[in-house]
Amino acid sequence: MSILLWGACIILLGGASASLFRRRITAGDRLFAGLLAAGCLLGATPAVTVLRGAPTMSASLQGSLPGGPWSFALDPLSAWFVLVILLPGAAAGVYGATYLAAERAHRNVAAVHALFAVLIVALIGVVTAQAMMPFLVAWEVMALSAYLLVVFESERAEVRRAGLVYIVLTHLSTLALIGMFAAMSAHAGGNTFADFASGSRASGSGRTLVFALALFGFGIKAGAVPMHFWLPGAHAAAPSHVSALLSGVMLKMGIYGLLRVVGLLGPAPLWFGWVLFGLGLASGVLGVLWALAQHDLKRMLAYHSVENVGIILLGMGVGVLGVASGQPVVAVLGFTGAVLHTMNHALFKSLLFLGAGAVVQATGTRVIDQLGGLGRRMPLTATAFGVGSLAIVGLPPFNGFISEWLVFRGLLSSAGSHEGVRFAVLGAGGLALIGGLALACFSKLDGVLFLGQSRAPSRGEREVREPGAGMVGPMLGLAAACVVIGFLPVVVLAPAQLVVESVLETAVGGIAGSGEWTELATRLSTVAFGVLAVVTVLLLARGLLGRARNARTVDTWACAGPPLSSRMQYGASSYAAPLLASFGPLPGVLEVREATAFHTHLVDPVQDGAVLPVWWALGRLTGRLRGWQGGRIRWYLVLVIATLLGLLFYLMQWKGAP
Amino acid sequence: MEGRAVTFSPLVSLVAVLAAAPALPGIATRTRAFLTGRRGTPVLQLYADLGKLVRKNVVYSRTTTPVFRIGPIIVVATVLVAATLLPLDGHQALLSFSGDLVAFAGLLGLGRFALVLAGLDTGSSFEGMGASREVTISTFAEPVLFLCFTVLVLATGDLTLAGMLGERLSAIWSTAMPSLALTGVGFFMLALAETSRVPVDDPATHLELTMIHEVIVLDHSGPELAMILFGNAAKLALFAVLVVSVLVPRGLLPPWLAVLALLVGLVVVAIGIGVVEASMARLRLNRVPQFLVAAGALAVVGVILLLR
Repeated sequence: MSILLWGACIILLGGASASLFRRRITAGDRLFAGLLAAGCLLGATPAVTVLRGAPTMSASLQGSLPGGPWSFALDPLSAWFVLVILLPGAAAGVYGATYLAAERAHRNVAAVHALFAVLIVALIGVVTAQAMMPFLVAWEVMALSAYLLVVFESERAEVRRAGLVYIVLTHLSTLALIGMFAAMSAHAGGNTFADFASGSRASGSGRTLVFALALFGFGIKAGAVPMHFWLPGAHAAAPSHVSALLSGVMLKMGIYGLLRVVGLLGPAPLWFGWVLFGLGLASGVLGVLWALAQHDLKRMLAYHSVENVGIILLGMGVGVLGVASGQPVVAVLGFTGAVLHTMNHALFKSLLFLGAGAVVQATGTRVIDQLGGLGRRMPLTATAFGVGSLAIVGLPPFNGFISEWLVFRGLLSSAGSHEGVRFAVLGAGGLALIGGLALACFSKLDGVLFLGQSRAPSRGEREVREPGAGMVGPMLGLAAACVVIGFLPVVVLAPAQLVVESVLETAVGGIAGSGEWTELATRLSTVAFGVLAVVTVLLLARGLLGRARNARTVDTWACAGPPLSSRMQYGASSYAAPLLASFGPLPGVLEVREATAFHTHLVDPVQDGAVLPVWWALGRLTGRLRGWQGGRIRWYLVLVIATLLGLLFYLMQWKGAP
Repeated sequence: MEGRAVTFSPLVSLVAVLAAAPALPGIATRTRAFLTGRRGTPVLQLYADLGKLVRKNVVYSRTTTPVFRIGPIIVVATVLVAATLLPLDGHQALLSFSGDLVAFAGLLGLGRFALVLAGLDTGSSFEGMGASREVTISTFAEPVLFLCFTVLVLATGDLTLAGMLGERLSAIWSTAMPSLALTGVGFFMLALAETSRVPVDDPATHLELTMIHEVIVLDHSGPELAMILFGNAAKLALFAVLVVSVLVPRGLLPPWLAVLALLVGLVVVAIGIGVVEASMARLRLNRVPQFLVAAGALAVVGVILLLR
């Protein structure tokens, strides 16, 4: 535990170093990157030991602290999430030092680095806290430092607006969590998680309230539909390496919270499983559908986070169903899929955001339809981004496939029970639809961004180049992690299973034998290496055939028409149009047809269709009340007396006067 | 595979099915031609085409990157590995594990991703159009495939393709026949959609604007075009294997006879495709999702029939 603390201190020191070396800018940046990476690696070591079977480490701050002792612990669940934080955190931090170097002149970059370090440490605090007060304090530090990072470019109106929506929603989430902890501590003898666990299990009543508040509070943080609408704006507004951390890691705090609550409260009821399942299905399908409609690269990636959170919630729903219906195999598969997808998404989503940042910095635009042909200019970025795309679509042999495979298996295994058939049909169909849409989405993104010809007519004045090693290195590192997990899932399956067992605590027989896990893992590896082997053989065969060497190079065939120009390529919008059209109004694409122009306008059906109308109606209603505040003392006195009389009447009537 | 003598029949049947695959489009096209009163191309035309293409030179577009060159290879590789997961001899697959059906779908997805990216790599509007249509159709095909698999999982209680299409299926075949028939129809409709046959796509069209599959590969040439053509034929064979396996309890037959039955079944499916192509027109593109939703509905009815 002390090693983790040292790691956190080094991370904070790294954050401060950027501010200390204001004169020697490069030295400050390098020190920030070095210390951050070192702190992350150091902090990751105790997490790895716990995940390899070492006993839970714990520490506690005694003394007259508010809310009882502030205890912290590193159990398997915490250790897993510490890794989820630190691996992308290190990559994003190192990347950020180079990424923001260009903005040194006109922005307070040192503050971003410092806040970034604070955010990482706060995230560690959230997942290691074992009592109410330290959890909430860390939660708030996390939320606020993230807010300050989101509004980094606050001179743009849309950034300020995104920040406002984010801060309102995150405090709604905190409010729900305070309520949840209050409901938990009402039945417990103290404010630590251990007290909650014994208290809630003993009482039984009030669990419904706790589960409902947890769904709301953590659901907002995780970005589950319909509580997702703060997410795309906020994540697109932040600098790209911060987006990577927000989208890849901070969303997962909602997942962590839900898993923690399930662990504390013991077997969750069936309805909880159904709600998780429903939220997951809605988030998955709608998230990817909205992503497909986006024109803005970073907003699109942010909507994909909604989709992936959906897949994670789907897995958790299957897990809860397995527990509630007494099918341990299903429970383990569902939860393991969810836990593993949390890690996988952290890796590939931060990779994709870092890649998007490289593209945006090189070209100066985030509009997908203005990009193209970047693969030849930035081959390493394109390769890393391609790996991330394949992983997020859930294709073998990359890491996303492993976790989606687990969720699918859980869904199909649950078909044995009566309740499970509905899960299986809805879930298997839904997850497959999500996969198909994600494939459409990322083939569009990869194809339009990196392949074909550049769509910008006058890119001449700005030479597009591969970013420096400080940015390419972290991307390649994350891509390598995605490939390793995809080819050798055995390295993550056993730790993930340990995490799930610690969450479920109860013995989960059947599949829990480690032999079967290694067996399954080797079979998945066989598929991965099989594809690799056949591809290698075919490549060699083509080489031996000798025809490829004297290949001719010509222009793309224009079907006997005039030569193709870059403006004639299929753009991102036209690529997605037929698919979006088959879903009717769901994707929120409004077509604007004018005499000389045609363009599409995107709305978020939840935010613009439901939340904002209610919000404005509320504003109009409260606006009417404004007339009461006219400044006349007599009127105020009447109100005071009326209130007092009302209270008196209430007390006499319902509380029983003596 | 465990606890059983490993025989050579899975490997032999794999080779047999892959060798027979290029004949299937020929049979379908010939049937269609016959029924519409024409002579049509020879049944073995595709073999000749493949042989010719392999000996030809390659022509690359100036716009393309290595993505374009590796695309066809991945298409073939994924179909080959996916084929090892199916119990082609009615009993065993070369590679079988619980949940391998997800890998089957994933591998086909990987091949599609590679094909589509290779098309987009040319920067041509025609190939972009084809890619867009391909992913639109496959998005709706993916859930249908999983719903059909769900029926089989429910019916057999087995999560391996080797079991749910092989011996386990044969054991419950007579009792679950109505559901299995619906699933077979579902797989058949999927085969039409996934391998670009009428009513989803028309392989005989000569107008680029109306093409789906053909137009993605406009710029491929030589051995690489051969790979794509072979990959598509092999994919048709895989879906035909699914149809035959569901409709015929081959697990009751000895392996060698089961392979023979499979080959006969493949020919029958190809003739069936030809009959469909001769008897109906192509659907409008925006109707294709409805065609696939109908296939999915059949699978759901299959589930309901099993729950009685």
